[in-house]
Amino acid sequence: MSLMALRERLNVLVNSMFLEGLLDQQFRQLQMLQDASSPGFVAEVITLFCEDSERMLTELTKLLDQAVVDYQKVDAYVHQLKGSSSSVGAQNVKLACIQFKQFCEENNKEGCLSALNMVKHQYYSLRSKFDTMLQLEQRIQAYDSEQQN
Amino acid sequence: MEEVKEEGEEMDVNDCGGGGLEVVRVLVVDDSPVDRKIVEMLLKRSEGIFDVVSVDSGKKAMEVLGLNEIEAKPPNHDDQKIDIVLTDYCMPEMTGLDLLKAVKANSSSRSIPVVMMSSENDSERISSCRAIGAEDFILKPLRVKDVQRLRTYTVPIGPMSKRGSKRKLPIALIAESNGAEARPLLAKVAAFGSAVFLTLNFWRSSVMSSSCN
Repeated sequence: MSLMALRERLNVLVNSMFLEGLLDQQFRQLQMLQDASSPGFVAEVITLFCEDSERMLTELTKLLDQAVVDYQKVDAYVHQLKGSSSSVGAQNVKLACIQFKQFCEENNKEGCLSALNMVKHQYYSLRSKFDTMLQLEQRIQAYDSEQQN
Repeated sequence: MEEVKEEGEEMDVNDCGGGGLEVVRVLVVDDSPVDRKIVEMLLKRSEGIFDVVSVDSGKKAMEVLGLNEIEAKPPNHDDQKIDIVLTDYCMPEMTGLDLLKAVKANSSSRSIPVVMMSSENDSERISSCRAIGAEDFILKPLRVKDVQRLRTYTVPIGPMSKRGSKRKLPIALIAESNGAEARPLLAKVAAFGSAVFLTLNFWRSSVMSSSCN
């Protein structure tokens, strides 16, 4: 696939993610911060976000698996996840976290479990597209490196 | 780390700090690795003005500031000196508010400006931080304009001012920030201005009436 075709495919992918609500304008802000001196910035942020999110989702699953749920700890993790998803522009994940926090405040275990499932669903949908995005970015950068050499 | 520009060297038009200014060393405190990464990049994109030290907890921030000893002492080396602290509010164990209190309670660090970051636009939280001595309260996610104004908290406004001492933002920059806390502040400035005007007029009237009698 040519460089132009790769870039086009990446643009189509990112635009579709905006249209589906997976991403919001904060992601555009991150893209604008990336430049020639930091060509991997967006990829680094996405990687950090995914690692951090999966860690938090694992902890949330464990906490909600307990007979007696510590809602304070659950809320703390949801707050963190809401924050990081907001920072990267992961809109649907952020919105799912807002709903989750509501159930935490109500100490509603069933609600929290349902909300956790929704957060996971939104996160993994996003993660799948992020994986494709990163693969395309890597191929584009490989092309750019070849052209510079 | 950003290069320090030489005195008198021309700055790019995108620079916000003007030519020949010292690099500002910022201590970024945030438990979120994602947010730390983004803030570091925002500071880096401010054209060489900021040198960044980032830590993931209030406790580590205390170590960097030399406040983790029983008798706090200022850092020994010049490269440890922090010009401004930019801290998240919500952190486990030691919150940003705890860190702010610790910085302001200690004579060796009291003059270091502290700017809070938070994802919550909570007016009580903002008021309490300002009352303890926070210079500003910035809503996350941060933008370029948010980090650009950090410099205003460290640049002296005149010969009588100390570096890092508390000072007001220009009205335009205050108005640019979050509306909820900007309006009360603007109202206070307007009220203060009115009070000065009325006091001066009262004094003037008193002087004139006594001179006529």
